[in-house]
Amino acid sequence: MVTGEKKKAIRRLKSMYPLRAKVNESYLKGAEAVKSGRPVVWGMLNYYYGDSVLKAMDIEVVYPENYGAALAAFGVAQQYLDIADADGYPTHLCGYSRANIGYASRMMKQLGGEIPPDAPLGGMPKPLFLMSSTAVCDARYKWFQALGQYMDSPVWTFEAPVPGLHEFFMEGSLERMVKMGVTHLRDFIAFVERLVGRKMDMDKFAETVDIIIEINRVLHETSELRKAEPCPMHSRDFWSAMTPALMLMGDIKDSLKCYYDLYNEVKELVENHVGAVENEKYRMVFAELPPWHSLALFDKLAERGWNFVIESVGYHPPIPIDLSKLTDPVEKITRFNLQKFLGLYQDAKDHNVTEGALAYPYLKYVTEWRCDGALLHPLISCRSASTHLPYVANILLEQVKVPSLTIEGDIVDLRLFDMEDALAKAEPFEETMEHYRQVRKQSGLDW
Amino acid sequence: MTIQKSKLIQGLSWAHEIYADREQRVRELKAAGKKIIGYPCAYVPLEMLTALDLVPYRIYGSIREPVTEADRSLPATFCPFMRSCLDRALKGKDDFLDGLVTAHSCDPQHRTAHVWESCVEYSYTHFIDMPGTLRADSMDYYKGQLADFKKTLEAYTGKKLTADKLKAAIKIHNQQRALVRDMYQLTIPDPPLISGTEILETIKAVMSLPVAEGNELLAGVISEVKSRSKGPPKRRARLMIWSSTLDDTEVMNVFESSANVVMDDSCGGFRPFRANVKPTADPIDGLADYYMNEITCARTFRQAAIGETKKDYPKDLASRFGYVKTIVKDWKINGAILFLVRYCDPFAFEMPSFKDYLNSIGVPSTYIEYDYTVGALAPMKTRVEAFIETIT
Repeated sequence: MVTGEKKKAIRRLKSMYPLRAKVNESYLKGAEAVKSGRPVVWGMLNYYYGDSVLKAMDIEVVYPENYGAALAAFGVAQQYLDIADADGYPTHLCGYSRANIGYASRMMKQLGGEIPPDAPLGGMPKPLFLMSSTAVCDARYKWFQALGQYMDSPVWTFEAPVPGLHEFFMEGSLERMVKMGVTHLRDFIAFVERLVGRKMDMDKFAETVDIIIEINRVLHETSELRKAEPCPMHSRDFWSAMTPALMLMGDIKDSLKCYYDLYNEVKELVENHVGAVENEKYRMVFAELPPWHSLALFDKLAERGWNFVIESVGYHPPIPIDLSKLTDPVEKITRFNLQKFLGLYQDAKDHNVTEGALAYPYLKYVTEWRCDGALLHPLISCRSASTHLPYVANILLEQVKVPSLTIEGDIVDLRLFDMEDALAKAEPFEETMEHYRQVRKQSGLDW
Repeated sequence: MTIQKSKLIQGLSWAHEIYADREQRVRELKAAGKKIIGYPCAYVPLEMLTALDLVPYRIYGSIREPVTEADRSLPATFCPFMRSCLDRALKGKDDFLDGLVTAHSCDPQHRTAHVWESCVEYSYTHFIDMPGTLRADSMDYYKGQLADFKKTLEAYTGKKLTADKLKAAIKIHNQQRALVRDMYQLTIPDPPLISGTEILETIKAVMSLPVAEGNELLAGVISEVKSRSKGPPKRRARLMIWSSTLDDTEVMNVFESSANVVMDDSCGGFRPFRANVKPTADPIDGLADYYMNEITCARTFRQAAIGETKKDYPKDLASRFGYVKTIVKDWKINGAILFLVRYCDPFAFEMPSFKDYLNSIGVPSTYIEYDYTVGALAPMKTRVEAFIETIT
């Protein structure tokens, strides 16, 4: 009897694997750093801003948000959620935060500061300090403030301004943000220098900033290649490959080489008309955070010809801007950081979409990546990644006649995601997408 | 005419009437040519509206009205207060509003603001971005935001917002803050001279009137309460309610059925009136200081010392909640209810720490969550009674 391995529905990129491996590498480096007496920082996603400083100073950073997803993926989150519940944190708070609070409680109150022995990926050691940010949601600074209950690590909170769409275009608005950002980052550098007892090498910082910007440019250009039909890079590969660009995990010089490899592989596949899904019937956009614990959903959908060609605006690099004339790396990274959420404000204004940072990009995505449908994944415990989704569904349907399918879930609590139910919705949604293909055609839209 | 009726009644009766029909006065004012500007959060600097003869009107949700229209634009697992506010706007319940001012006081306010702006038409809208920290550079940024607000208001009204006008508006709003504090002084005696329900009605009425009329109402309420012979009965406990939002007397009645609520530290209660805007050469500086420093909502990141290199938990708690210590002492509070509107992340993260702080100053507390609907009140009553049992 001949047994053949079943062909995978999603063709994975070879160049993705080294990038994905950097996540594990980062946690192991954190654990090694502690063993050798070097400090580790717990960081909240801050869009290259504070991360650039720590990278240049060779300080290891681990990301509790990311680790929360890891705890869920390893199936061990529940014990930490239970501890957070017992400590009085409401169950509707961000799942990542509750998992991390439970982890910190166990580590500090039960284990005297030792990493839990069963913690995946070597665990997260007690931090030198906590680097939080007001970017994207309230949880991301209130959570680190709450950790003061367990540990004496100080908290540094970054500002992340989010002006209104029309207000942003008032005279001097951007420059005021830059001024705040630059002053703030200089103070942060001084804060880190005080904590570690050594000075920042500004030349190395400048080099680091340039590499970060280049990494993100290459990843952006790679996403641009995904406009090709068929699209050779599925969202699963993007999610696997994005972390070293978003959180600067691992050695960034090596990451840059890996991203060039990624770009080259995708380019070659585009030239050879190779898609990530063999028969690309439906080009899809995904919003926002994926069900990390149930990524097999995408394999099942790929079997139906669904190719996810663009996704998760919060994970994507800023729209490139020319910062080459700036000589001050502090200002350069500040402007680059601001560009992340302000980079499409003008486009959003032109399209009369009042939410320019998180909602408008989806209109751009479905139009330029020529999507047939959007899969929206609101999360019960992550409101920041969910709040704009009904609005996104409305503008996609109203402005470009692209329908959305909503599948609820959670980032950590596996019980809230029903894969069978999600798959059962796929077939009727295909009929909806077919219908709207006709509607778009009648409306003069070209896809 | 309602306007004449309003002038005939004073004090608590007037507060009750306005509370029951909040929009009556602003509709009259609108008919008389005034512009009415709605705002859903205590972080909007009302002084700047008053200074230009605009009428600020606090937007509240309704715990009695099911959210139906807002489902189109906001998820169900989202701040029910903001869902309710938007829902009412989409249903045209606030159709007398000429403008809407929102602020980045928290994520739900920020996110709802942009959706709101996209689906309800006003002749004026403005969004004030707010920093999360109290750093000097953050304060400078915030002053820039207030300067932008001033510019759009001037463009909308066609009037210049001079420093003198703004100082005069700050003065009259400070008078209002002082009057509200005077009203809360009336809960210091045991039993209190005024109930939490009466205070809530009064403050919500004040937030529905131009500032001068609100001050007149407050003065009348204070005078009436001081002179009346019968106030609320003495209950078994003197409670403080600590919450993001408490804006309905039915909720307050649940607490007051078994205790005297002598302090309501929420944005519908004492919180936005606890201090005055300080006089400064540039009045924008005083406003920036007041709204960032003096309003003690959980949305602001506070710490014992900016840039501190080691966290000392007791000092950290004192920097965040220390203002409560005096309140507890002066109002002789013997129990606190930490009252959370579901999905309010800033307050939800504070709950264990605030409980720790209350424990450190010897105040027993309990945590109760509700979903901003009347349906939540019956089980809440049981929990409140059980808590009162444990502390008395």
